[in-house]
Amino acid sequence: MPANTLFEAKRETATVTEAHEGGPSVHEMSRRGLLDHLTKIGAGALAAAMSVGGALPAIARAQAAPASPRPTRRKFRYGMVIDTRRCVGCRACMVACKAENKTPPGVFYTVVFDHVIEPRIDDKPLFLTKPCFHCEHPPCVDVCPVSATYKREQDGIVVVDYDRCIGCRYCMTACPYSARWFDFDENYPAVEQETRYAEVPSPEYNQFRRRESGKSPVGNVRKCHFCMHLQDENGEYDKAAGRWPACAKTCTGKAIHFGDFLDPESEVSRLVRERVAIRLKEELGTEPNVFYLL
Amino acid sequence: MYPFDERTGRRRFLKVLGAAGAAAGAGTLPGCASFGSKEHELAKDAVAKARWGREAGAWIPSCCNMCGGQSGILVHVVDGVVEKIEPNHWNPNNYSNISSDFFDGYSEAYGCKEGGVICPKGNAGILQLYDPDRVKTPLKRRNPERVPGADPQWQEISWEQALDEIAGKMRALRDAGDAHQLLWISEDHSFTHIQDDFCKLFGTPNYGVHSNLCDVARKASFKVVMGHDRPLADFIQAKYILLFGWNPTSATKWIFLPRIITRAIERGARLVVIDPYLSDTAAKAHEWVPIRPATDGALALALGHVIVRDELYDREFVQKWTVGFDRYRDYIRDKTPEWAEAITSVPAATIERLARELAATKPALVDVWSGPGQHSNGVQGGRAIAMLNTLVGAWDRPGGMVIPDKRGEKHTEVEPDERAEHTLKQARFDELEKYPLGHKSGVYTRLFSNLAEGGGPYAAKMLMCIFQNPMMSVPGTPIVARALARLETVVVIDTMMSETAMMADYVLPGTVYLERYDLNSHWVTWPVLGLRQPVVKPLFGQPAEYEVVAALGRRLGLRDKSGKDFFRTGPLSGAPLEDLTAWYEDYLSNELKKGAPGITLEQLKSLPGAVWVDRGGTKYEKYAEPIPTGKLAVAWFDGDRRADGTAVYDRPKDRGGRRIGTVIGGVPVTGFATPSGKVEFFSAKLAEKKDALGRAVDPRPVYAPRDWQPSPEYPLFLINWKETSHTHTRTQNNPWLLDIKPENPLIVHPDTAARFRVADGDTVVVESPYGSVTARVATSRRMHPEVVGLQHGFGHWALGRQARGRGTSDAALRPATADPLSGMALHKETCVRLRRI
Repeated sequence: MPANTLFEAKRETATVTEAHEGGPSVHEMSRRGLLDHLTKIGAGALAAAMSVGGALPAIARAQAAPASPRPTRRKFRYGMVIDTRRCVGCRACMVACKAENKTPPGVFYTVVFDHVIEPRIDDKPLFLTKPCFHCEHPPCVDVCPVSATYKREQDGIVVVDYDRCIGCRYCMTACPYSARWFDFDENYPAVEQETRYAEVPSPEYNQFRRRESGKSPVGNVRKCHFCMHLQDENGEYDKAAGRWPACAKTCTGKAIHFGDFLDPESEVSRLVRERVAIRLKEELGTEPNVFYLL
Repeated sequence: MYPFDERTGRRRFLKVLGAAGAAAGAGTLPGCASFGSKEHELAKDAVAKARWGREAGAWIPSCCNMCGGQSGILVHVVDGVVEKIEPNHWNPNNYSNISSDFFDGYSEAYGCKEGGVICPKGNAGILQLYDPDRVKTPLKRRNPERVPGADPQWQEISWEQALDEIAGKMRALRDAGDAHQLLWISEDHSFTHIQDDFCKLFGTPNYGVHSNLCDVARKASFKVVMGHDRPLADFIQAKYILLFGWNPTSATKWIFLPRIITRAIERGARLVVIDPYLSDTAAKAHEWVPIRPATDGALALALGHVIVRDELYDREFVQKWTVGFDRYRDYIRDKTPEWAEAITSVPAATIERLARELAATKPALVDVWSGPGQHSNGVQGGRAIAMLNTLVGAWDRPGGMVIPDKRGEKHTEVEPDERAEHTLKQARFDELEKYPLGHKSGVYTRLFSNLAEGGGPYAAKMLMCIFQNPMMSVPGTPIVARALARLETVVVIDTMMSETAMMADYVLPGTVYLERYDLNSHWVTWPVLGLRQPVVKPLFGQPAEYEVVAALGRRLGLRDKSGKDFFRTGPLSGAPLEDLTAWYEDYLSNELKKGAPGITLEQLKSLPGAVWVDRGGTKYEKYAEPIPTGKLAVAWFDGDRRADGTAVYDRPKDRGGRRIGTVIGGVPVTGFATPSGKVEFFSAKLAEKKDALGRAVDPRPVYAPRDWQPSPEYPLFLINWKETSHTHTRTQNNPWLLDIKPENPLIVHPDTAARFRVADGDTVVVESPYGSVTARVATSRRMHPEVVGLQHGFGHWALGRQARGRGTSDAALRPATADPLSGMALHKETCVRLRRI
């Protein structure tokens, strides 16, 4: 990765981090400081591609599953294909994620943007949801000083080991997509004021941690893990049994497709093959496993 | 230590190092610059997973009530705590309103092929249940002064005391022969039947529900045109969708809407949205047509003008299935696109083009909701819009406007005793009978303005207000406040301390939908009935609302005509049932057994997803179905058996016959449920009516400007709308929903902002002749330059700690007025100016 691009990425995510620390919600953030965020995270390519209709600029042509899977223990390559034509901007994914992972205020594993991408006479917004992209070459992983965050060999999911994370937030600055969040020990009233809901632990990583001040994941960096706790012992999801990422399960427009890119017959592989699919900031070489359909 | 922040109290560095080393024994030395993170095993807690995981506890099927949409839900309950709410795949309301789409790939094991969905509110229901600000005990007011802002000086009282005292006040009214002086209002999707029963047995004609704050103008428009008050758009099969003032992919009245609309576009449909604001639905449309508020009817007439002028209409349908086309054609002859351009601000060339697209694309549909409806000319405008469906032959056809088969549970009407019968004959306090197209939900604006001004047919004394917040939801907050102050007794049942609850004499803790029962016949096009059931016990031991109603009925000893002790006798079993819940379960079983499902409550619970789905599915062109031979053999004809338009009854009209159809084209068919049995371009019945202001009603779908127009002093239209993030005024204390929508800025076009010298982010005073409020400005070219607007529901001064002080309520900027035809509250008829502070 060219050093200057990484630097730029760091700088812009730092802006985002500041906004988080001030405690405003995502929506306020999107209205205020992050107006250009979408363009910065690479949706400019998306806008450009859309403006030329069917003819797609070469830069935006995304590669489907890699030509030759790595000869490792890799069993799956989990990822998402998000259909921007189906996303209605309802934000059910954001709330379903909160309900599933019990994330605290200020932590959103996915965020819905409604920015005006293409300046037009009418400020028409483009909706899209942005989870962690679980990149093939995740810059966030490379910078972790304690090996707390890593990309799983078997399925490519980028995880955080809360028992190791020291909360230094290098990874947050390294992520070009602002997909990582710091847990500042804030709590929703239902947790803070000891309703029975405060008893409910987060199922993340099958660790079922009950929220407690001073204990992980408070003080850790947190991120989307494709609801990894819903995998069975073979590492497989099961949509019919409800073991499927919460955002995809609730998506009101059925815009979020989830699956395995190593399986050429999977819905996600087929969609990337058959439709115009792009990835954000393709030029960084991060190779996100989340594609957007135009 | 640099990575750590003492302020937020995170743990210490060394502790982490110790934990990390112990957990993994990884080769990496923590803290060293070992770039390139290594994989290792994560800790797991199998014991906690066995207790809390998806396989633990129970997944209970039920129905949501975060809004009136009634989506199916699956609720994960562990040890009496709600852990998660997910979509219910067996409930069509979560997927599609058309049976062929729902059953395509359906399996009993999984439900609908792609799985159901729920909206952000449905996902956030947990925090509604576990809101620490909920009302927990019955409260009695000690401060006699009932004005907004006054401390009510609440006294916590027992349920016994509360019910005894409330029943006592009711008994006093009834004993004095003044039962009709009890007013009763409630939400319109929950436990309405038992409240209706109570009011009848008690003897008050004054039961009203929420609908007249919502869509009764639309109901009236469609009812006049084609005889059904809520046809449903078959989006997924449509190829051209023209929407007037509706935001269905965001104001998700039903959660299947985002899927079936985006899917329609995928399958080649063109979506055009007419709205003063580029709504989130307009953001998905091929074309947004900005329009001046309350001029939609004029646009619809001009579209009709082009379609008729160029003979693009469905000639066959119009000839066979309609009446009054000549009168309509005469009326629209001069309603040219140029005429409409001056009124609507939509260019004439656009109108010409839209009309041709609409008429040339099949199947096409035209739908309208509360945008155009909540103005004083809403009903007639809605008629003009609905009429476009007639011109393109969209009624009850695939891809058109389908008449739903609403068979579900059966509400057995109670027979009141003689004393109740006597007071039931009194006029309604809200003077509903004066509204020629009024809806049984009543006229809230009239109810409150009559109270405030001492008007109405008599003096009302007591109000039961269940799950309603008129202080914010009825136009004219100061009028509602005065109205409440004039009542002798106000009782509010709610889960939250709403603005209205703060004005009450008694506040009883209500139940969240996860704590109670309901039957929901859904808004799809074929018969479907879902169960809402308690998944946890009411958190504070409170009785559910229907149990409060029954408990009051018992205290009052209400009996029906036959002398039956109504609220103690199981309606199905006929046996005495002391336990309130058991009694209500029997009540629901009775409604199910006598209704279309024909099963008991227990049987409904055991169906997949706890939803009864009629396998017959969606039927089209029901109006053309011949009357079955069996019925025909005994039918009675109101005229010549062969003549077009002869009404057909199941037995002679003078022997209480019910109309079952009409002779059309020489054949007795079901027809449309209008007086003529056909779609009516011209309503002879309306011609005989007077509106609530005593004016003659035009039988044609005329355009007349709404009453309140911008003036030099108040030059801007003010509108409001709904989005998926919140429901009415009741979810603004829910933190997850505040995360996605924390306030409601006033959207102002940049040119308009410049004109009023305000900038993005400024706080402004919004002033009308009726009041002023402050709002934060967000400039956007999504708004028509002559209009400002905001999402409805914010601006609380009560409700809860999270809700207070966020955003703006515009209810104080308008009078408590209703449309004089349907009684629809005029939420959008307001003109304002902006002043920077």
